[in-house]
Amino acid sequence: MWELFISIFTSVLLWIYDIVGNFGIAIILFTILIRVVTWPLNAQQMKGAAAMQSLQTDKEWQDIQKKYAKDKEKLAQEQMRVYREKGINPFGSCLPTLIQFPIIIALYQSITRALAVTPLGLLQLSRSGSAFSFLDITSLIPLNSKFLWMDLGRPEGIPLPFEIGFLPYGFPILAIIVALTTYVQSKLTLPASTTPGDQSAAMGNMMSIYMPLLLGYFALTFPSGLAVYFITSNVLGIIQYAMQGKANWRNLLPGGNKQVVAKAKK
Amino acid sequence: MSKKFSFLTIVLLAVVLLSGCTGGTGRGTTWPGLAANNDTAFLADGSLLYAVSIKDGKELWHYPASPSAKIVFYSTPVITPDGLVIVGSAGTDRSLVALNPADINSETKSPVEAWRFTGAQDHWVATPLVIENRLVAPNADGKLYVFDLSDGQTNKQPVEVIDLAGRLWGQPVTDGKLIFVNSLDHSVFAIDKDSYKIVWHEDLGGAIPNSPVLTTDGSLYVGSFASELEKFDPATGNHEAVEKTTAWVWGTPSLVENNLYFGDLSGNFYSYNTEEGKYNWNPIQPDGPITTSPLVVNDLILVATESGSIYGVDVDGQSKLWSQPGGKIYTSPVMAGNLVLVSPLGADAFLYAYDSNGHQAWAFKPEN
Repeated sequence: MWELFISIFTSVLLWIYDIVGNFGIAIILFTILIRVVTWPLNAQQMKGAAAMQSLQTDKEWQDIQKKYAKDKEKLAQEQMRVYREKGINPFGSCLPTLIQFPIIIALYQSITRALAVTPLGLLQLSRSGSAFSFLDITSLIPLNSKFLWMDLGRPEGIPLPFEIGFLPYGFPILAIIVALTTYVQSKLTLPASTTPGDQSAAMGNMMSIYMPLLLGYFALTFPSGLAVYFITSNVLGIIQYAMQGKANWRNLLPGGNKQVVAKAKK
Repeated sequence: MSKKFSFLTIVLLAVVLLSGCTGGTGRGTTWPGLAANNDTAFLADGSLLYAVSIKDGKELWHYPASPSAKIVFYSTPVITPDGLVIVGSAGTDRSLVALNPADINSETKSPVEAWRFTGAQDHWVATPLVIENRLVAPNADGKLYVFDLSDGQTNKQPVEVIDLAGRLWGQPVTDGKLIFVNSLDHSVFAIDKDSYKIVWHEDLGGAIPNSPVLTTDGSLYVGSFASELEKFDPATGNHEAVEKTTAWVWGTPSLVENNLYFGDLSGNFYSYNTEEGKYNWNPIQPDGPITTSPLVVNDLILVATESGSIYGVDVDGQSKLWSQPGGKIYTSPVMAGNLVLVSPLGADAFLYAYDSNGHQAWAFKPEN
């Protein structure tokens, strides 16, 4: 099943590459395609985040929080009841992000398979192409892995005049951009918290710290084609949120979320 | 707290999954390179190059002394006439090193480096070719690096860098005047051995991961991903497709008298008569895709398949199972003395030795 998934991903990538003739652009277009396909998931994420946000100003919920401030177990029970009554899925805002992981893993495997930098990789590629019979894999191989200054089949880095042990590929510009854009995107989608000790806000804050570090590490370690996917996906996400007026720009400011809490207290 | 735990669990799982995909520096990234002389087998396998005694299958040494994340070996080593073992790395160090097995460091128990070159732009997959006192080394950066083996340099620099195209994965061959090398970008190149000028290059319409074959009548044959056997006039580069194959030809054809033996990825095995210009018999199907080059042992042509079997084929095209080490065989078997060496992926051992009847003599598995 997983192999079929990878095979389809690889075939789509190769098909786009066949049309545009540039693997970097193929990855960017493929990312746009992925964003379109996962649009309902992202919409659900935004809806979940908005529902969470509106709950913070809900009178009933604020009263419950005050009433059970010292009884965490009862507060949790009441919280679940309110979620149920208002049709809120507590995982609705983070699940779509987590669903991206299999896509990332599949894309990573597809990129390395399509670029086939090892003999075994090339052999696997010969078998992946069969998902689309109209693809002439013979004429496509080998793919041109060069895009801008990068070799998409290898981790990115600008060579340094000296050696740093933990940066074997040089200065990792792409990994830094990945971490920054992931941070911006996760901060923009973080709902403004109006209550101190808000668990969902704490969860969101945690993700906005861990996700940039995690994806930055992936970009540092794995083929730069994956970093191109991350950056494109993040930028598209930011644009999507901004266009729909859902972007919470205040969160980018230091202490922006705390200001909202303070206002709510007044 | 439980949400935090769940999130971290998923993150860790993702890291493990992605990390697992890379294959690391250990065995399994791709198939190993195997070369041998009468005394020693050299197995380039992941992060280490092993030297194994032909006599009993015991490890003599490995290089480097400790595995490094920067080093990945799968290029078949080449043994020079003066006994140096030259092997290229597909790791981030992109090094080409010459090791002296006669000079073992008493502390590390590894051979001393005679020289090293680290200036290539990509990884080493192809086996270099020794021509007199020169080494012609194709790299995946599309360049052919020529080194003077007699200049005594330890920090080796090429005397010539010939810019070809695509990734060069196959060992070059020479007829004494020209050097022929295949490229994954579908090309066959002929280069003047002395001036290093490109004399001709031709596009075959499919990638070529193997080596060309020079026959006794002076022709050059190439099997490619275009699923054809191509015959060249080495002097001019004029060529024609002489036979079709069912699928991609990966392994270099083997020449026995006037016959070329080779397999394809559909699992078909062919015998082409270069004098008559046709197949000797209808292709036979051992039991799986073939990426290896056949090996001649006595009157049999041995062909190893992805299914982990070795079939013995006679000149009339009659085949029978010769041995079955298991795993998947992608690396071409080699002869060492009177033993046949095979290195399957995914088998119990890294290297197996068989006598001429197909009986196992020994198996080698590293201790650590």
